Amino acid sequence: MCVSSAAGVCSSSVEQKIYVELNETVPCVRLLNATHQIGCQSSMSGDTGVLHVLETQSDLDWILSSGPHPPYMVIMETAFFNRSVMMRMKNSSRVSGVAVIVSKTGLAQNFSPHTTCPNQNTGVYGSELANCNVTVWNPLGNGLSYEDFSFPVFALKDENQTQVIRKCYEDHNQRVNGSAPHYPLCAMQLFSHMHAVTDTVTCMRRTDLQNRFSINPEVLCDPLSDFNVWTSTRPLNSSAKGHAANESVVIAAARLDGRSFFWEQAPAAEGTVSGIITLLAAIQALYPVTQEAPPPRNIFFTFFQGEAFDYIGSSKMVYDMEKNDFVIDLKNVHSILEIGQVGLHSGRSLWMHSDPVSRKNDSVNEAVSEMMNRMESAAAGLSVSVGHPSFSQPLPPSSLQRFLRAGPIPGLVLADHQKSFSNRYYESMYDDAENLNVTYPPGLTPDEQLVYETDAAKSLAEVATLVARSLYLQAGGENNSLSNITADPKTVAQLLYGFLVQKNNSWFRSLLLSAGPGPPQFYIGLGPRIHGPVHSVTRFVQYILANLTGTVTNLTESQCQNPSELSTENKDLFSYFWVSGPASVNSTGEPFCVRASVRLSEAVSPAFELLEYGSRNYSTWTESRWKSIRARIFLVASRELEVMQTKTQQNC
Amino acid sequence: MNLERIPNEEKLSLCRRYYLGGFAFLPFLWLVNVLWFFREAFLKPTYTEQLQIKSYVKKSALGLIVWVAVLTTWITIFQHFRAQWGEVGDYLSFTIPLGTA
Repeated sequence: MCVSSAAGVCSSSVEQKIYVELNETVPCVRLLNATHQIGCQSSMSGDTGVLHVLETQSDLDWILSSGPHPPYMVIMETAFFNRSVMMRMKNSSRVSGVAVIVSKTGLAQNFSPHTTCPNQNTGVYGSELANCNVTVWNPLGNGLSYEDFSFPVFALKDENQTQVIRKCYEDHNQRVNGSAPHYPLCAMQLFSHMHAVTDTVTCMRRTDLQNRFSINPEVLCDPLSDFNVWTSTRPLNSSAKGHAANESVVIAAARLDGRSFFWEQAPAAEGTVSGIITLLAAIQALYPVTQEAPPPRNIFFTFFQGEAFDYIGSSKMVYDMEKNDFVIDLKNVHSILEIGQVGLHSGRSLWMHSDPVSRKNDSVNEAVSEMMNRMESAAAGLSVSVGHPSFSQPLPPSSLQRFLRAGPIPGLVLADHQKSFSNRYYESMYDDAENLNVTYPPGLTPDEQLVYETDAAKSLAEVATLVARSLYLQAGGENNSLSNITADPKTVAQLLYGFLVQKNNSWFRSLLLSAGPGPPQFYIGLGPRIHGPVHSVTRFVQYILANLTGTVTNLTESQCQNPSELSTENKDLFSYFWVSGPASVNSTGEPFCVRASVRLSEAVSPAFELLEYGSRNYSTWTESRWKSIRARIFLVASRELEVMQTKTQQNC
Repeated sequence: MNLERIPNEEKLSLCRRYYLGGFAFLPFLWLVNVLWFFREAFLKPTYTEQLQIKSYVKKSALGLIVWVAVLTTWITIFQHFRAQWGEVGDYLSFTIPLGTA
C-alpha cells in the first residue's frame, strides 16, 4: 500500500484491494439563488471520517462528544434524519459527513424537508398575506432542504450496498462492552465538491469573468431550466405572437416538477403526479366533445415546469405574454383553473381556493363566483363534492399567483386540502406511490399491473371528470353535452403506473424510447442546454398528449420531420411526432407519424434573460457544477496512514 | 560572475546599475544587490570605491525592506478580505478558487 501511494502509479489491482467503491449513491448538491446558497459541500479532495452507525441516542452522544476518533462519518438510520439531529451535526466539528439510509422502516409519520411557507417571496401577496399569516400551508415542513451544510450528505438507497457498509462497521468499528474500538477502523470518503459559492450573482459574475479572461474557462453554475408543455382544443398559430384576435381562452394548468433534499430524487406523487394525471385524463375526456360540439371559448392546457423553485415556468409564460412573445396574451385570458394536489381526497370533498385580494373588484368577484357555481353543478352527478374555503384565506402556492401579479384574472385552484396540505411528505423522497395508496396485489405481471385499476385510479378519474366538465361549462359549452364527458379510469391507471411505479412499460415504450427502470423523477434539472434532449418527464407528457389528442397520419419519416413541404400539413398549427408504435411478442412496433397541437415553450426564469441575477421578482435558482461525485470505504490502520490513504486518487 | 576578477571601478558601476534599476519597480534587483555586494561592502578590507558601494548596498536594503513591508501588508489584506469585497475582489483576482468564497 505504501509503495502504490508513494509512487502514484496506477496499480488498480492494489487499489481495488484497498478501496470499495460505492456506486449507488445519491448526493445532495448545492443550489444558489439571488442571496443564499443551500445544499451541501465537501472538500476538494473529499471528506473522510471513521464510520459510525447512528441507531440510538447513545450513538449520537458518542459521535458528538465522547468518541475518541473524530471526525466521524455518520451512517444515519431513517428515524434520525430530522431537523434537530441534522442541526446538531451541522454545528459540530466532529462530523465530516453523513450518509442517510433511505428506507421505509423507521420512517416517521411525516417528513417534509421543504419550508413551511413555499415560494412566499415570489407569489402575489405582499407582507400582510405572504408569510403564511392566515394559513400555514406546510406545517410539517422542517426546512432541511434550504439549509447550507458544509459537509457532504449522501443517500444510500441500495439495500445490498448498505449491507456492505454495515458489515464493515460491525467487523471493525463496533464498540465491545462500552470500550472504544481499536485501529484498524473502517472509514468512508465522500466526494461532492461544488464549484459555485455564495449566491447566483457571484457565481454568474465569476463565470463571465472566466469566459472573458481565462485561457481555460470554467462554468461554475447553470440556471435551472427546462420546457413547459401546452396544447389547446382549437389549434393556435404558433408563428403569430402577441394578442390573438377573437380568442377568449380558459387556461387549465398543472405543475410538472417536484424536488427533495437529494439531487434528482423527486417522486412527487401527491405533490405533482396527481395534478398531471388529472389534467391529462381531463384532456382525453374533453377532446372528442370539443371536436363535435366546440364551445365558444378555446381551452388552453398547460403544464408548468420548475414551480418548486419560485415559479420558473409560469413566470416565464406570463413574462412572454406581457412582452407579446407568446401565441396569446393576457387580454385573451378569460379565466384560469389550476389543478393543485388532488390525490388524497378519498371520500372527502375537494376545495376551490380563490384569491381574496382580486375578488375585492366586483367584476372579478362575480366571475369567480360563476366559476364556482359551474364547478358545483358539474360535480352534481359525481361522487366528489366541492366546497370553498373561507373567503379571507389566500391562495395556496400555485402558478395562478404569477398570473395575478400581472393583473386581476378570475381563477380557482382545485385542491384536496381546505387549509394546510394533506400531504405529509411534501417535496420529499417519500412522496411516492405508497403515499397515494397506489398498491397492486401480488403476483401480477408488469403488463397486468399497467392496466389494473386501483382505488386511487378510480378516485382520480372522478376528479378528472369533474375538471373536464367544469372546463367545458366554463368555456361556454352546453349542459346537455356534459354526460358525454367522462374520464377513462383505464387511462388513469396506466398513467399512475407509468408515472409512479415503472416508466419502462409497454405503453411508454410504444410512444418513445424510455430511459432505465423505476419511476420517473420530477426534478427540473438543467434542461437541454446541458443534458441534450428534453428532460424525460417533459417528453413523456408531450408524447402522451400527442397520443391522447393527436391524429394518426400516413406521412413517412422524412415527411414527418419536414411537414412544411406538404401543402396539406401546417407546421404553424401542429407538431408532428414520429412514434414507435405498440410492440407485440413477435415484432417491434411499426412506427408512424402523429399530428397534434402540442407544443413546448421554454421554461427559463426571466431573470436570466434580463441578466438581473439578483432579481427579487423572478426565480434566480441555479445549480452548481462539480467535477466528480463518488464515495468509497476502506480500512485505516492509524491516523497518519489515514491522511496518506485519502490522498490516493484514481488516475487511470 | 565572479567579483574577484573585476576591477573596482567596474564593481562600483555594476552596483550602481543594479541600484538604479531597482527603482523601475524591480525590488529583486535590490535583493540581488544586497546579497551579491554584501561581502564586498562590509567584509573586505577598505578600498577607494568601497564607501560608495557601501552606500548603494545600504540604500538597496532600505528599499527592499520597504517593498517587503508593503507587499506583505497588501497580500495579507487581500487574502483576508477578498471574499468580503464581492465584486471588487473578483475583478482584482487573476484566478478565483472554486467552491470556496
